[in-house]
Amino acid sequence: MNKRHISFGKLLAPMVIAGALLLALNRPGLAEEKYDEETYGPQSPIIWTKPVTAVIFKHKRHTMEAGLECDSCHDGIFQMEAGSAQENDDFTMASLYAGKYCGACHDGETAFSSKSRCTSCHLGVQQYKNLTGGAQQHSGH
Amino acid sequence: MKIEDLNKLENEGTDSLPSEERRNFLRFGLSITGVFLGGSLLSLTSTRNAQGVTLNQFDDAPKYPYKPHYSMIILQNRCIDCERCMEACTKTNNVPSYGFRTKILEQMQTINPTRKEQVFMPVLCNHCNRPSCVRVCPTSATYKNKTNGIVMMDYKKCIGCKTCMAACPYNARYFKEENRAIDKCNFCFDTRLSRGEKLTACANACPAGVRNFGDISDPDSNVYRLLHRPDNVAWVLRPETGSLPNVFYTVG
Repeated sequence: MNKRHISFGKLLAPMVIAGALLLALNRPGLAEEKYDEETYGPQSPIIWTKPVTAVIFKHKRHTMEAGLECDSCHDGIFQMEAGSAQENDDFTMASLYAGKYCGACHDGETAFSSKSRCTSCHLGVQQYKNLTGGAQQHSGH
Repeated sequence: MKIEDLNKLENEGTDSLPSEERRNFLRFGLSITGVFLGGSLLSLTSTRNAQGVTLNQFDDAPKYPYKPHYSMIILQNRCIDCERCMEACTKTNNVPSYGFRTKILEQMQTINPTRKEQVFMPVLCNHCNRPSCVRVCPTSATYKNKTNGIVMMDYKKCIGCKTCMAACPYNARYFKEENRAIDKCNFCFDTRLSRGEKLTACANACPAGVRNFGDISDPDSNVYRLLHRPDNVAWVLRPETGSLPNVFYTVG
């Protein structure tokens, strides 16, 4: 009996150390930088539904990952109020091609051209419904 | 020997058959197929003249047999699933909420290990040159218009058996309760084309130039030029059915 107890204790020690290490690695901030809304902008994506349904923009992709500053876009290219650009009549692809809005960077040189890879930003109706919990889908009932 | 007597016989299997007998049997079979099919299709002796039973066999048929030969060229990479085409179609053709004449299919495609891309694919009736729906219809309610090749419906003749729905390789038909008949895309023939409009409702509504509609037998038409661009690949859906569809997919 005594022998067994000793061996169990010997086993337990490395297990505890390993467990502590795992916990430490899993803590946010150590393995991955924590998303800070003050630094990087709102975490929830912006989804425009005009002039077409629907176009998505993620702050995380542009600030935290691509390294842009707030004043890279605000207030010159986009107003601070999320999603407000779609109220402007010139919020169109033609404007983007002319270097306005997303087109300021998405010109094929700074970032991929707004004339290419349409579905990178255009979600479409089905995915928009999925993201918004199918609210539109049931509005008719 | 009668069939009843044959049924009573015990199957001896092929193991006990002498090899000479088997050779004779095979030779007999080959010579028969040779006579009937000119030795080109099912011949087991030589593959030199063998032909696949695919689209090649229709090569002698005229490519665009109708005038105007209505067709749609879909620039697939431009589709963003805004569904304005579906809205316009529903409004123009009184499509009920449970039905459809056109749809947008979606698929997540893996571009490389780190990148995935959404692909949208508009689908509608392909107005096939060899429409299996027309072939199976027991009352000729669905038919191919002899002038423009549009696959049309005669609602009064339709008995709602849905055989055409099962036969269609493209799932382009639905049963419309209001008509007690099958409904499907007819390139807006009754609602627009016959009233002088040049485009279908969906093509007219598309903001991205995905749906291009016109007479493909006319070399000066937009659709002809899009389909016959040099070095450009175009494809049709389910070519293996041999239905010869008139909706083509490409990029641009």
